[in-house]
Amino acid sequence: MLKDKARVMTAQDIERILKRMSHEILERNRGLENMIIVGIQRRGVYLANRLGDILAHFESTRVPSGVLDITLYRDDLTLLHDQPVVHSTSIPEDVNSRKILLVDDVLYTGRTVRAALDALMDLGRPESVQLAVLVDRGHRELPIHPDYIGKTIPTSKSEVIEVRLNELDGKDEVVICEREEG
Amino acid sequence: MKILFRNGLLFDGRTLSGGKTDVLAEDGVISRIGTGLDDNGANEIYDLSDLIISPGFIDLHCHLRDPGQEWREDLLSGSRAGAAGGFSTLVCMPNTDPPVDNAALIRYLLEKGEECDGSRVVPAGCLSRERAGNNLAEMGKMAIAGAVLFTDDGSPVSNTNLLRLALQYSSRLGVRIMEHPEDRSLTLGAQVNDGICSTISGLKGWPSSAEASDIFRGASLSMDTGVPIHFTHVSTKESMNAMRISKASGCTVTCDVTPHHLCLVENMVISGGYDGVFKVNPPLRSVQDVDALWEGIRDGTVDAIATDHAPYHMDEKDLPFQESAFGIASLECAVAAILHEWKRRKDLCTLEKLLSLFTSGPASLLPEKWRTLGVIAEGSPADLTVIDPDFERVVDVSKWESKARSTPWNGRTLKGWPVMTVVRGKVAYKMPDHLSRVK
Amino acid sequence: MEWKQRHVLDLDTWKREELHYILEQTSSMDELLDRPIKKVPALRGKLVVNLFFEPSTRTRVSFELAEKFLSADVVNWSASGSSIGKGETLRDTAWTLEAMGADAVVIRHGAVGAADYLARKLKKSVVFNGGDGAHSHPTQALLDLYTAWKKIGSLERKKIVMIGDVLHSRVARSDIIGFSKMGSRVVLSGPPTLMPRSVDALGATYDPDPRSAVKGADIIYLLRIQRERQDEGMFPSLDEYHQIFGANESLLKLAGADTIVMHPGPVNRGVEIASNVADGSQSMILGQVRSGVALRMALLFVCLGGVRQ
Ligand SMILES: [Zn+2]
Repeated sequence: MLKDKARVMTAQDIERILKRMSHEILERNRGLENMIIVGIQRRGVYLANRLGDILAHFESTRVPSGVLDITLYRDDLTLLHDQPVVHSTSIPEDVNSRKILLVDDVLYTGRTVRAALDALMDLGRPESVQLAVLVDRGHRELPIHPDYIGKTIPTSKSEVIEVRLNELDGKDEVVICEREEG
Repeated sequence: MKILFRNGLLFDGRTLSGGKTDVLAEDGVISRIGTGLDDNGANEIYDLSDLIISPGFIDLHCHLRDPGQEWREDLLSGSRAGAAGGFSTLVCMPNTDPPVDNAALIRYLLEKGEECDGSRVVPAGCLSRERAGNNLAEMGKMAIAGAVLFTDDGSPVSNTNLLRLALQYSSRLGVRIMEHPEDRSLTLGAQVNDGICSTISGLKGWPSSAEASDIFRGASLSMDTGVPIHFTHVSTKESMNAMRISKASGCTVTCDVTPHHLCLVENMVISGGYDGVFKVNPPLRSVQDVDALWEGIRDGTVDAIATDHAPYHMDEKDLPFQESAFGIASLECAVAAILHEWKRRKDLCTLEKLLSLFTSGPASLLPEKWRTLGVIAEGSPADLTVIDPDFERVVDVSKWESKARSTPWNGRTLKGWPVMTVVRGKVAYKMPDHLSRVK
Repeated sequence: MEWKQRHVLDLDTWKREELHYILEQTSSMDELLDRPIKKVPALRGKLVVNLFFEPSTRTRVSFELAEKFLSADVVNWSASGSSIGKGETLRDTAWTLEAMGADAVVIRHGAVGAADYLARKLKKSVVFNGGDGAHSHPTQALLDLYTAWKKIGSLERKKIVMIGDVLHSRVARSDIIGFSKMGSRVVLSGPPTLMPRSVDALGATYDPDPRSAVKGADIIYLLRIQRERQDEGMFPSLDEYHQIFGANESLLKLAGADTIVMHPGPVNRGVEIASNVADGSQSMILGQVRSGVALRMALLFVCLGGVRQ
């Protein structure tokens, strides 16, 4: 059983942070040319959509966005507790020679991102890949570093970061949970 | 040698009496039956309170695989298995290697049988030479040597003329013809009952008509020749009707049914994951067929229960269903399986009716000299079976005397067991830690 | 959903939600087949043995592609030229496979129950039944379900008419179970000598006349007619069979313009199906082949990729 321990982001926090990240993205790339935003299934997808909306609002142009499922690329399936479910991957345009902005909710060991990179490379050869995450909770097991971080939240390994989003969970918040004994 | 059995519930082969009875066996013969018998000079005394004392059970049909297939069973292992299963007499089938189609092999079996310390073993001889279905075997010589039945079991006698000749020829021998009823042109490649099991499994179906049509054929020959014929392991409703019609029209036809056809159904092949342990000839049948066999027991259409104990080596049974051998081994649990199933169907027939199908029923089908095996009477052979109708035990095939190591009942708890078997006035089997020996 | 099927032997133990789950998963795999690189690392390091006692190019190639697209190590072990042909029992083969460390075994065997038998003998490996005698062919049924589901949507209250040799068909037995569990109504047609005795035990009905059977059918499923059946005298001639039970344009017209036509392959043109029907716009036959690869990928992944160690 997971038990909520502390709320670390509210809906307003999330909105503010995504806006700030959008500015950083624009600044770093000097615009949105040649970019595709790709969300990692499942919460990464909604965050990617929101970033896309904000960027469209700032720049009055819509960046194509896609969805990446990495289940078949994971190397930690045997450690998961639930039956793996393969979701769909759908990226509307050819990824060859494009700038890919990969979006996920939480960056932890780095294995998800590693799998996402493999999945992405099987679709083509992007010019570059950048990584945006809402929360970086540390404990990396691979040499992976995000380009845009919403918030760095130091955690212990026994804790779980839950990002809840309106589209899936009915509200926006980020909560630190802890496994209850028994 | 004197053995006294005290306080048993006496089943004399026909009726089960309520009171407590003593039976004294002296030098292989029953010398006295009564109450409060004097125990003077008895070597052994057993208290049979709450147990049934019955004439020794007779199995008209079992395969002891001797000579030639001793890796499956031999006379000694089969004889001990029979005694452990409550049978004092086993009729062993002649489909051995070589087949028992001559007097020398009949004598071999009788002599070797004498040396076995379990059930009494009496042999059936082949109907046809080499069991090939073409020419009559030397039935006359075999009858003199001691054959108790003639049969090509394992196969039917497909040649109708041969079967007719066999009936005619055997009429003066006093030894009955036993037919394994099966029309082979209808069962070529068949594996399971033609019905739910064949439909769901895709295995080729074994139609009921393959059996019933052979019964009608044999009955017609029996009517024609005036000679009795016995049909073994009859398994379907349609066959029961064929028996009923034939009996009603005056044919001297008799039949036996097996414990597996009385207790198991075709669906077990499927629910058992196509385990070869459920593969048998004829196949396990439908629920309606099983009910019809019990109805046949109730109304007297069935004359005997015979095991068709067919032991195989595990290497011949532990194979994918289609490759597994046909045959169910059951000697050591057949009686228990029947008693257990009978309890579920208690209103159907009386216990004495059921017991008669193991005793006076089969005895009446044997040559004249063996018929006293089916009764408990002063002067009859001291072959006895003691039944504890309430005893429960788990079937454990790994502990069997038989060489068979698979049976559909393995692991099942059965209620009602034979607990002692007496052959020729000697205790051939006694269930460990069960009966109280008074002396 | 928690996946409870250890082996894939027969669909009789499956629940509708499990069928649905596999269809959804197949859909994701189907998408993968459109990519430039079809290979994903999901089953890297897993050993899958394809154990084929009967020649079956289609099923074997389909399994092999699925295994390779998922990056499994694949060994093809066929009856010809191996110890299997030299009297080694299936039990010994099973123990050999286990000793080799096979994570999964796909078995195609002529004997009913061979896959069940193998599953009883193998303590660790997952067994996929690639067809056992005339009993069961679950992966074919699943790919058929997927093909139909993708084309016509929900299979609830749909009518599927299977025409042909149901008696000897493992495909028919598994498809009847599969389509029935999805809520479809199954009607069988064909010569009475090629029908099993207890059609109702399968949950289907029988109409000896294909022309009345196909009325209102959403799916017409044609079963392969083996030429040996004529030699065995199960029906008088292939010619007569085609005339009475073969699927031609006039039969298709009786069914309707939206009716889809399926066949497990390989097709006997001019026997159970006329060429213009097999190649026509209502035919799903090639779609079934493609679905086969995706479906087997989904099954392999679900049974081997997950939590079970
Ligand atoms: Zn027989």
